[in-house]
Amino acid sequence: MPTEGQKKLLEELKNSLTRALPEGRITSGDYARTGCHLEVRLSDVGMRRVAAVMKDKRFHLETITAVDFPGSFELIYLYSTYYDDICRVIAHIQILKDASPHTVSAIYPGAIWLEREIYDFFGIRFLDHPDLRRILNPDNADYFPLLKTFGKTKLTEEIDDILC
Amino acid sequence: MLNIKTIDDASINERVYQLNLGPQHPSTHGVLHLLLKLDGEVVIAADPIVGYSHRGHEKMAENRIWEQFLPNTSRIDYLSGLIYNQGYCMAVEKLCGIEVPERAEYIRVITSELNRISSHLLGIMAFVMDIGAFTPFLYGWDDREHVLDLLERVTGSRLTYCYNRFGGVRNDIDQEFCDGTRRFIDRLRGRFKDYHNLITENIIFIKRTRGVGIITEETALEFGVTGPSLRGSGVNYDVRKNEPYSVYPEFDFEIPVRKEGDVMARYQVRMAEMEQSMNIIEQALDNLPEGPVRSHVPRFIDPPAGDIYFAFESARGAVGYYIVSDGTRVPYRIKVRTPSFSNLFVLTRVLPGNFIADAIATLGSIDVVVPEIDR
Repeated sequence: MPTEGQKKLLEELKNSLTRALPEGRITSGDYARTGCHLEVRLSDVGMRRVAAVMKDKRFHLETITAVDFPGSFELIYLYSTYYDDICRVIAHIQILKDASPHTVSAIYPGAIWLEREIYDFFGIRFLDHPDLRRILNPDNADYFPLLKTFGKTKLTEEIDDILC
Repeated sequence: MLNIKTIDDASINERVYQLNLGPQHPSTHGVLHLLLKLDGEVVIAADPIVGYSHRGHEKMAENRIWEQFLPNTSRIDYLSGLIYNQGYCMAVEKLCGIEVPERAEYIRVITSELNRISSHLLGIMAFVMDIGAFTPFLYGWDDREHVLDLLERVTGSRLTYCYNRFGGVRNDIDQEFCDGTRRFIDRLRGRFKDYHNLITENIIFIKRTRGVGIITEETALEFGVTGPSLRGSGVNYDVRKNEPYSVYPEFDFEIPVRKEGDVMARYQVRMAEMEQSMNIIEQALDNLPEGPVRSHVPRFIDPPAGDIYFAFESARGAVGYYIVSDGTRVPYRIKVRTPSFSNLFVLTRVLPGNFIADAIATLGSIDVVVPEIDR
């Protein structure tokens, strides 16, 4: 059950986010099922405006990730608070396959590595990112491993080659 | 005769020296590579280079059925594998709506907290050895051995556990495990006096750790630091309390917090946390309910389409599984939010301006596990 403080915080957040993102779809999440209290759905832009609102409310950026759907990527930003009245906000931002989203690293420096990781695994180039290098894969890699097109057949062939 | 420049040559003083700390350095906890830029003994920039033990767990998840990912989870962070194991099971159970018997939840908490103690023992002792104290390491290793023996008895393995199952745990615990755990807790409580004598009150240790490597609350918030590294900076945040899962709300325990934000504070938080873990285990053993340890779950599960974020507290901080299911037997995407990733990146902010010897102490006190970062 949400506490009084939590309800108040959620209400405030919803208002601030609606003001900052008139084009977005902001809905209350089903915490018991999805683990998130508030869901923001946007397309193409708006990640920096979400981050600014969350920074203002003293939330920390838990993680950023991407999901490779047919025809588009979805960037997932997860914000949560350190203080009482747990509240988690998830922002789903749909972008085109060849799009270059804006970085949020000017607002949350911790995003530098998180965005490097997304570039490393999905090939998404963030605009104005201060240090967009590979992070976990080798520097000279010519593949993006978490794309759905990368995978089973090519990899198994390589393994077969090594084993033979 | 080699042409060596003399010390009073002005150009030497102005040269920035680059030092590769690792990936094969004993105090870099695995295969971490820190590229340090030095001005004399002072660090002016630090660039952690990670990825040496990248195994592609997230890609592996997309190529196997839900159950087959279980053994992977404990290999992400091999020091608190059971906690990762439990977290993955709980996330999938929440996604599918699987009920877990109460006895199984208690057993999960007991084994996870034992795992947390073993992880903290290793973390603290390796850190103390990094800054020059060799003796406590041997004592700590001795105690850790007892935890591993206990866990081996129920789970069958000593490090990379795969004990949790969807809907419960693999097998029940027996009386000998309960008695052994109580004996171990008594023993470890007695050992704390020695540890405080050997480490906490050691004048060299105090001089090396007080006021060194300070992470402020503001920096922690910007970088998303969690776990003991955050609680050492005065923020009372622990997923077990803030966002309770499993049967943690039923236990009476405290979250140790220190205000200083330095290396010493992080060490003290870990020491106090072990005592709290022992309290939790004792309460769980006292109130252990009877009953089955595994509910009836089909051999192959088919979760409904949808996404879920599930957070839990490992020995290093808040872990999260972000799972996307498309309704098939294979996960569409599993993202693991690992605490060491954020906790290590904060070093780029903390290390500059410190001595290189203090950089080692700071790195040790954050207690990173590199395979967790690399995944």
